[in-house]
Amino acid sequence: MDWTPAPRRSSAIRRDQNFAIIGAVISGAVVATGLAMLLLARVNPDGAVRVRGAVLDIVAPIWAVARAPVDGVGRAADAVGAYLGAVSENRQLKRDLAEARAELQRAAADRQALRQLRRAEAVTEPRRRLVVTARIVSATPGSVVRTAIISAGAAQGVKLGQPAISADGLIGRTIEVGRHSARLLLLSDPASRVPVLISRTGEAALVKGDNKPSFELSARAGSDAPLKPGDVLLTSGEGGIYPPGVPVGTIISREPPWRVRPAASPLGAGFVRIEAAYQPLPQEAEGPIFDAMVPAEARRQGGVAGTVRRAESGDGAGEREGGDE
Amino acid sequence: MSRAPITERSMFGGYAPPLRLMSGAERRRWWLGHWRLAVPAVSSLFLLLFMTMPLPLPLPIFPELGLIAIFVWATFQPSLMPPWAAFLIGLVADLLFAQPLGVNATLFALIAGFVRWFEVRYGHHAHIFDWALALALVAGFEIGSWLLMDLGGQPTALAPLGWQWLTSLLAYPAVSALCGRLQRTILAADGGR
Repeated sequence: MDWTPAPRRSSAIRRDQNFAIIGAVISGAVVATGLAMLLLARVNPDGAVRVRGAVLDIVAPIWAVARAPVDGVGRAADAVGAYLGAVSENRQLKRDLAEARAELQRAAADRQALRQLRRAEAVTEPRRRLVVTARIVSATPGSVVRTAIISAGAAQGVKLGQPAISADGLIGRTIEVGRHSARLLLLSDPASRVPVLISRTGEAALVKGDNKPSFELSARAGSDAPLKPGDVLLTSGEGGIYPPGVPVGTIISREPPWRVRPAASPLGAGFVRIEAAYQPLPQEAEGPIFDAMVPAEARRQGGVAGTVRRAESGDGAGEREGGDE
Repeated sequence: MSRAPITERSMFGGYAPPLRLMSGAERRRWWLGHWRLAVPAVSSLFLLLFMTMPLPLPLPIFPELGLIAIFVWATFQPSLMPPWAAFLIGLVADLLFAQPLGVNATLFALIAGFVRWFEVRYGHHAHIFDWALALALVAGFEIGSWLLMDLGGQPTALAPLGWQWLTSLLAYPAVSALCGRLQRTILAADGGR
C-alpha cells in the first residue's frame, strides 16, 4: 500500500465534528440575519414599532419603582437644603420679584399691542396644547442613541413626534410610544435637529446634537454677524413639531464652531410636559420612497408597488427620478 | 460535587430521556430542572436592563455591561453562550437602546463566535489576559457599532464612545466577579452530572 489509510474516527469524535460544523453554519446564518435586519432598518426605520412599544412598557415600570427610594432621599435632601437656604433665598426672591414686576408691566403693554396688530393683519396661529405631564423614568447612558423614557404613553394621548418641554426649556421629542410609556429622542442625539432663532439677531439656524454635553449650531441663515457667548437660542416654530419661543440653549464659544449649552438638562428635570405637535405636517405618501434610479420598465408600469409615486398625468410615473437626470 | 463546566453532553445527561414513559409531572420536572442553562443569558439581560438606569450623565459613558457579560460567559461556559443566544440578547439590547434592529445583535453574535474560536486556540484564562482581550473586544465593538449605526441609517460620532471604552475597562473586574459567583453558586451545583 503506498498510501496511509485515514485514521478511523470514533463516532464520538465524528459527532463532535458534526456539531462544530452545524454550530458554524448557525453562527454564520445569525450574523447574516443581523446584517439583513440592519439593511431593512435603513430602508424602513419605523419597522418593529409595536415591539419597541411593548419593550418600553416592560422597562418603564421597573425603573419607575426602582428609582422611588432614590427620589425619596433626593426630596429629603432638598427639604433640608430649603430650610438652610431660606433666608438668603427669600432676599434674592424679593429682588427678583421687583424686577419681574417691572418686566411684567412692559410685557402686558406689548401683549396688548401684539393682539391689536394680529387682529389688524388677521394672523391666525396654531395653539400650544398640553397632552400630559410625565416623569422621566429611565435613560440610556450606555448607548450611542441618546434617549429617555417617560411614564406616559398612548393611553394618555402621547403620539409620535410630539415635543417634550421642561420648566427650563426644550428636552426633545417622542420617537417611540408604548401603551403607558414613551421614548424621547434627546437634543444631544446625532439624529436631533431643532430649528432655532438667535434671539439677539433674529437669525434662523439649526441646533444639532453630536453625543456631547453641548450642542452644535449649524446652517445659519442670513448675515454672518458674529455671535457672542451668552446669546440665547429659542425654537423658531419651523418644522411643525416644536412650538416657537421655547429656550434651547445659549452660545458658549467665541468663534465659528459655535457650541450651545443646553437650557434644560433632561435627566435632572424629572417632569416634562408633552405637548401636541405645534403644526403637524400633512401626511404624504405611504411607505418608503427611494431616491435610487428606477429601471425604465418599472416606470412604464407605474413603479414597483409602494416604492415610486404614480404620476397621474404626463409620461408615466417617475417624475421624481426624471427630475434628477 | 464536581465543578466541571456544563457541556452539551452533560446538559441532557448524555442520552435522550424516555419522555413518553414519564408522567406529566415528571416531564415538567425534567424540563424545569434545566433552568440553570438559562442563567448566563438571563444574567446578561439583567445587566443590559441595568444599563437603562436613569443617570444624569451628559455623555454615553456607562460601561458596556451586557457586552462584557457575554464575553465572560463565552469564556466560562461556551456551550451556554452560543452566537445565536448572543444574537437574541443583542436584539433585546437594540430594542432597549432604540438602536436600529441588528446593530447589537450582529456584534454580540460576532463577538461570541470570535471568543469561541479564539479560546480553542489561544485562551488560557489568566485574569489579566482575559481583561486585555475583553478591552480589545469592547474597542472593536465601539468601532463596529459606529460602522453599523451608519449602515442602519443613524450615523453617530465615534469620539464619545472612547469614554465608554474607558469605563468598560474599569467595569470588567466587577462583571467577571459577578459571573464567576453565579457560576460557583448556581451553575456548578448542577454541572458535570
